[in-house]
Amino acid sequence: MLSIRNLTARIGDNEVLKGIDLEIKAGEVHAIMGPNGSGKSTLGKVLAGHPAYEVTGGEVLYEGSDLFRLSADERARAGIFLGFQHPIEVPGVSNASFLRLAYNKKAESAGRDELDPLEFDDYIQEKIRLVKMDGSFLDRSLNEGFSGGEKKRNEILQMCVLDPRLSILDELDSGLDIDALRVLGEAVTALMGPDRALMIITHFPRILETIRPDRVHVLSAGRIVRTGGMELALELEERGYDWLKAEVAPAGRV
Amino acid sequence: MAAVMERPLLPAILAQPRPGGWEARRAQAEAALEGREWPSTRQEGWKYTDLAALKAMDFDCGADRPVDIGPLILPEARGTRLVFVNGRYNSHHSNTSSLPGGVRLLNLASASELAHDLGSLAAPAGADPFADLNTARFRDGALVVIPKGVQMEAPLHVLFVSTQDGDRPTCSLPRLFLVLERGASATLVEEYQGRGRYLTCAVTEVIVRAGASLSHERIQRESTGAFHFSSLAAKVERDAQYACRTIAFGARLSRSTPRVTLAEPGASLTLDGLALLGETQVADTHSFIDHIVPDCTSRQAHKTIADGASLAVFNGIIYVRRDAQHTDAQQQCRGLLLSAQARVDAKPQLEIYADDVKCAHGAAIGQLDPEAMFYLQSRGLRPALARNLLTYAFASDLLAGIPVPSLKRQLRQTVLARTNAEHLETLP
Repeated sequence: MLSIRNLTARIGDNEVLKGIDLEIKAGEVHAIMGPNGSGKSTLGKVLAGHPAYEVTGGEVLYEGSDLFRLSADERARAGIFLGFQHPIEVPGVSNASFLRLAYNKKAESAGRDELDPLEFDDYIQEKIRLVKMDGSFLDRSLNEGFSGGEKKRNEILQMCVLDPRLSILDELDSGLDIDALRVLGEAVTALMGPDRALMIITHFPRILETIRPDRVHVLSAGRIVRTGGMELALELEERGYDWLKAEVAPAGRV
Repeated sequence: MAAVMERPLLPAILAQPRPGGWEARRAQAEAALEGREWPSTRQEGWKYTDLAALKAMDFDCGADRPVDIGPLILPEARGTRLVFVNGRYNSHHSNTSSLPGGVRLLNLASASELAHDLGSLAAPAGADPFADLNTARFRDGALVVIPKGVQMEAPLHVLFVSTQDGDRPTCSLPRLFLVLERGASATLVEEYQGRGRYLTCAVTEVIVRAGASLSHERIQRESTGAFHFSSLAAKVERDAQYACRTIAFGARLSRSTPRVTLAEPGASLTLDGLALLGETQVADTHSFIDHIVPDCTSRQAHKTIADGASLAVFNGIIYVRRDAQHTDAQQQCRGLLLSAQARVDAKPQLEIYADDVKCAHGAAIGQLDPEAMFYLQSRGLRPALARNLLTYAFASDLLAGIPVPSLKRQLRQTVLARTNAEHLETLP
C-alpha cells in the first residue's frame, strides 16, 4: 500500500528525515517509535502533505502511484488520514457540520451519494457510539475548548467518518487517560481490515497493547535504526531510547 | 481657532429650522458647528478615513416614505419593535403591544423634560461634528426606560430604515436613549438598513443603572451607497453588566464611535465589533473605554475581514484613570486580509494612570493560519473551501453570543454568503 524509499525532507534549513525506507502492506499495523525530535511527526506530516516541509529526495508510492503528485486534500480524498498530535481549534464551525462536509467531499470525489443532514445524523450516531463520545460535542465548535483527550477522541471520530485506507495516527496516546486510550484503541482496531493499513506514531509503547503492531520501527535522528516486532517495543519500555542513540551516534555523524 | 470653511458642513441640514425642545443642547451643538471645517485626513482621528466623496454630495432631510420592512422583522420582537423611516417615527410599522408593564416609551420630540440626562453622556459639543449635527437638528427618536427590576424577555428592536427620495440623497438623524433602572435586564437590537444613497448620523445614549444588565446589538446593514456615522455613549453603574456588539456589514463609508464609561465599582463591559468589508468599503471604529473608578472589568474584541480594496480602521483606547485600581481590561484586535489591495489599520491603545491593574492588549493582522488550512485540507477540503470555511469561522465566532436566534441566523447567513461558504450549515 505504501512504499517509502530513501525519503529525505527538511523544514527550513533543518534536514529532519535523512533517508527513510519503509514498506507497509495492506492489512498491516506499523508502529513508528523514537525519542523526541527523531522525525516521527515529520514523517506523518510529510506523508499527509504539510506545506512547511520540503521533500528533498527519495520517493513514496501510495497504492502504486507517486504520492507527492497529490496535494494534501487530494491525498485525503484518496484515502490517507492523519490524526493530529495537536488538533486545531476552529471556533465558529460546528463539529457536525464539518464532519458532514468532509464526508461529502470525499463521497463526491469517490462518485458516491452525498448525505443530507438527516441521513448524516443516522450515520454519525453509529460512529459516536464507536468512540463513546457524548453527542453534545457534535453541536460545539470544532475542537474549541475540548480537553486534550476530547480532541483525540474527535480525531478518531473523524477517522471513523472518513473511513480511510491508510491512517497515520500521530501521538494518539498523548493527553489520553487509560480508559479513553482503550476505547479509542479498540475503535481504531475495529476499523482495520485486509484492505486497510495503520501507522501508529508514538513515544510510549503502552498504546501498542491495544493496537497490536505487526512491525515496530525505531526512528532516531531521521533514520530508521531498528525494526522488529512487539518485543522491540517492550525492550524500549524497559530500556528507554538512550542505548539506541549511543549505538547509532557514530553513523549519524557521517 | 476654526478656519474659514471652503465648504460648510452639510448646509442643507443645518439650514433647516431648529426643531422644538432641547434648546440648550441644540444651541451648544450649533455653536460648535459654526464655522467648523470638515474633518480632514490631516487630523489624527481621521487619518485614514477620507470624506471627499461625502463632501461632494448634498443631502435633503428625509421624509416618511413607504418601505417594506417584512424581511427585517425579528419574530422574537413582534410586539417590541420601534421603526423609524428616514429618521421619523413610523407608527404603522412599529408594534409595541408586548412591552412589559411599566416600560416607558416616549417620542423624544415630546420628552425633553423627562430625559434630563439626554445629551450629558454624548461626547461634548465640538468633539464629533456628526454627533453635533444630530443634536442640532434631530427631529425624532425614542426614549425607552426599563423600570427597576423588570426583566424584559423579548428583545427590543429599534429599526432605522433609510431610503433616498427619488434621485435625491437623504439625511436622517436618529436619536435613541435607553435607561435600564436598577436590577433591570434587557436586550436591545439597534439596527440600520436602507436603500439607495443617503447619510445617517445617529446618536445613541445608554445608561445601565446599578445591578442592571443590558445586551446591546448594533447592526449596521446600510445600503452600499450610504454613509453612516453612529456615536454611542454609555454609562455603566455599580455591579451592572453591559455587553455591546457592533456589526458593520454595509455602507460605502461608516464610522462607529462607541464611548463607554465604567462609572461605579463592579461595573463590567464587553465591547465587541465585527466589520466584514469588500469592494471599496470603508469602516472606521474609534472606541473609548473609560475606567474612572476601581474594580471594573472590560473586554474588547474587534475583528475585521477586508476583501477587495476595502479599508478597515480600528482605533481603540482604554483609559484607566488614577483612581481606577484593580481594573481588569483586555483588548484584542484581529484583522483578516483577503486580498492584496485590502487594508486594515489597527491601533490598540492602553493609557494607564493607576498602578495596580491587570491590562493587556494585542493586535494581529494577516492571512489565515496555515496550520488550520493544513488541518482542513488533510480532511479532504480543497484549498478554496478551506479558506472560505476559516474566513466564515473567523467572523462567525463573534456572532456566537447574540441572544436573539433569528438575528444570529440572519447574520450568519450573510457571513456565509459573503465568504462563499453557503453550503455549510451554521451552528445552532
